[in-house]
Amino acid sequence: MIEFHLNGRGRSLDTDPATPLLWVIRDTLGLTGTKFGCGMGVCGACTVHLDGEAIRSCVTPLSAAAGKAVTTIEGLGGDHPLQRAWVAHNVPQCGYCQSGQIMAAAALLASNPAPDTDEIRQSMAGNLCRCGTYNKIQRAIHSAADSIAHWQPDAPEPQS
Amino acid sequence: MSLSRRRFIRNVSVTGGAFVIGFQLAGCSGKPPELGQPGDFEPDAFLRINPDGQVTVQIAKAEMGQGIVTGMVTLVAEELELDPQQIHYEMAPVHSAFADPEMRLQITGGSASIRIYYDILRQVGASARETLVAAAMAQTGLPRASLIAENGMVHAVDGSVAIAYAELVPVARTLPLAADVVLKEAADFRLIGRYEQRVDALCKSDGSARFGMDVAPENCLTAVLLRCPWFDGEVVAFEATRARAMAGVVAVFATAYGVAVVAEGYWQASQAAAKVEVEFTPPASGLRDSKAIAEAMTAALDGDDFASVRNDQSGAEAGAGQRVQGRYHVPFLAHAPMEPLNATCRIGNDGCEIWVGSQAPDIARDAASRELGIPREQVVVHNQFLGGGFGRRAAADNVAEVAAIARQLQRPVKLVWSREDDIRHDWYRPAMAGQLQAEVHGDGSISHWQHRIVGPSINQQVLPEFAKSMLPQWVPGAARKLIGDVAAGKDFASVEGADELPYRFDGVSVQYHNLPVPVPLGYWRSVGHSHTAFAVESFIDELAHAAGADPVVFRRRHLPADSRQRRVLDAVAEAANWGSPAPGRFQGVAVHESFHSVVAEVVELSLGDNGTPRIEHVYCAIECGQVINPDIVRDQMEGGIVFALSAALYGEITVEKGAVQQSNYHDYPMLRHNEMPSMTVVIIDSNAAPSGVGEPGTPPAAPALGNALFAATGVRQRRLPFKLG
Repeated sequence: MIEFHLNGRGRSLDTDPATPLLWVIRDTLGLTGTKFGCGMGVCGACTVHLDGEAIRSCVTPLSAAAGKAVTTIEGLGGDHPLQRAWVAHNVPQCGYCQSGQIMAAAALLASNPAPDTDEIRQSMAGNLCRCGTYNKIQRAIHSAADSIAHWQPDAPEPQS
Repeated sequence: MSLSRRRFIRNVSVTGGAFVIGFQLAGCSGKPPELGQPGDFEPDAFLRINPDGQVTVQIAKAEMGQGIVTGMVTLVAEELELDPQQIHYEMAPVHSAFADPEMRLQITGGSASIRIYYDILRQVGASARETLVAAAMAQTGLPRASLIAENGMVHAVDGSVAIAYAELVPVARTLPLAADVVLKEAADFRLIGRYEQRVDALCKSDGSARFGMDVAPENCLTAVLLRCPWFDGEVVAFEATRARAMAGVVAVFATAYGVAVVAEGYWQASQAAAKVEVEFTPPASGLRDSKAIAEAMTAALDGDDFASVRNDQSGAEAGAGQRVQGRYHVPFLAHAPMEPLNATCRIGNDGCEIWVGSQAPDIARDAASRELGIPREQVVVHNQFLGGGFGRRAAADNVAEVAAIARQLQRPVKLVWSREDDIRHDWYRPAMAGQLQAEVHGDGSISHWQHRIVGPSINQQVLPEFAKSMLPQWVPGAARKLIGDVAAGKDFASVEGADELPYRFDGVSVQYHNLPVPVPLGYWRSVGHSHTAFAVESFIDELAHAAGADPVVFRRRHLPADSRQRRVLDAVAEAANWGSPAPGRFQGVAVHESFHSVVAEVVELSLGDNGTPRIEHVYCAIECGQVINPDIVRDQMEGGIVFALSAALYGEITVEKGAVQQSNYHDYPMLRHNEMPSMTVVIIDSNAAPSGVGEPGTPPAAPALGNALFAATGVRQRRLPFKLG
């Protein structure tokens, strides 16, 4: 039995601890905002937070989450400054990579509330976008940076 | 309004509304699909308004990032006097009303969606609006001139009456659909050319957008498929004792497409699949190695076996000028959309349901129908958002596979491809070779342009498959094969972009040699233009160099003064401050027409300390007729450029013994955020009919980059991907 928090809610799972967190989140718990892209940690579509750090859930076993807090795109709540900026700047095209982009950006802003363009370019280099939305991602991160300090990164999601 | 426009609308209207066009051109009769509830106002296949006033538009094209949902909703909203964000949208079911009137398939491609639906969807909005106004006339007794539709209401001009659309639905649904409606003049547009939001931005920022991968009907299993690593091998035998014993595994069995491993979830299925040993029929001989294919291409270029595509005789004497020649090569490419392919199938007593993100849901439907041996009418396709398409999702191999798996199970099943499956089992942009030659004369004129193209025909492979959905089911297979063979003779996918050379040269010859290969081929963003623009616009630069002319000046001289190419070239040259880049920066230019739009690009790069080029900025100008959403046009230019730069810098699929050697993003890389150049996109004002934007940004980027590399290094690179540093 492995216990962890997902988006603020306690979970206790009797799942093979070697199962990557991605498939626990998607197949076992049914949260599909976190995406499968490459399965080897090189595209970033599966990015979630583990105790606030951005990790690649497709190569992180469930066992690594024991006793920790996992936050997915659903846990950001939809009204996170980055999500508002993503909408205001029309960042998504196909949209498939954007959950991972936003989670990577949220971890960046949590550690560096006012990154310059070069810091954004370097820290976001692990998240591929086949549609080529990188320049808009930069602009959205810059515009979200101003308001990020007022947001609580791991606010619990409403109990369902 | 011009007479011709009036006539068009009247001609459409007498048949009861533009939605009928789809029926007529598709050669089908029948009634529109019934999608709404009793009590809805449902004027045509595309639109319904329920008694609560909820407006729902059917999206007859695939949303793969190009913004077609926003575009289509905007066109309806413009005439229906609504905010696009107020309109609900649904991915249209398969129905002849939604077939593309040009392609006769419900297919998304050719950057054609807005070009085709620009008039139709405005007509849908206008007819519905006028019918709602007619309902208000009946309700109030006021004449048409006293009423105005605005923001989801019909108002009296004097303010005495205001009725919401919702209240008019019960009357409107009993009235004949308004005919002879007049569409807005461009000057009156409220949204078209002005609206800059996307209606799908929020659901794609909060994780709620549903892609094919996210579908999970109740009790659904997950399957992975062990396909033969080389082309067209078949399963001989397999050993799955260990796999069958693993937790969560439900079944392991052979299909025509490989060995299916079915489990409760993806991880269990993929872990079990790794324990299955499969024996396949051995690779056949033939052109199954990249090296052998390249040698065959060279041999063809050295030979004289070419079909003439275009042959304008030259007036000048051959040999009077300086002959310039260059051979250009491009590799096989994968599409590699971020969402790996997948499809979900549920078989019931009276047919089956397919959930998939497809660029061609009718081809998907027919693939399932054939696989299961049931009539087309018994297959329901639920199309989803596509996590990238780029041409890959026009094929329905994933749907045939999932149907073959589902028929052996008692539960619904989702087939998930791994990234490795995606890279190794794509329908690839073909490797192509081109030889260009021309003569440069002392006065700067050009004669004896000859462009020879060698490569396999996509159409010969793909059209017979597509034809199964285009033609009635009783048409024999031989007829379908004939379509492919005929198409291969003058193969647009191999020569487009080369045959309509915009430059005024003295004598232009374009020739094609079809070189069939066993590698599966498909349409890749911008199709033939992806290689012809590279060859033509690089070679134009070679001619400019040979003539001692500036690349922009040279192009301008040979383009007709009133040509769109010259206008767009001038716009990009001005934006880029062509000829005067900042110190340490080098520029290259290219201009190309595709999908009825003209795009010019300037790539500006610098050289690092060790001589490694770095792409600093890309300037782009586009003329694509009337723009619907300027922000989306800019996005498509940026995205199309990134797509091309990824290919130009890194993209190469190689085959050995009929097997693709690449497997994932580490060995089939694409541009990453830290490599992204800044970009400037200039949209040229135009009220001409809309033309394509999804693909036209792609073709000029590789030649513009190559030309910039030449400017920086003096080395002409004629082979993609470029070798840097």
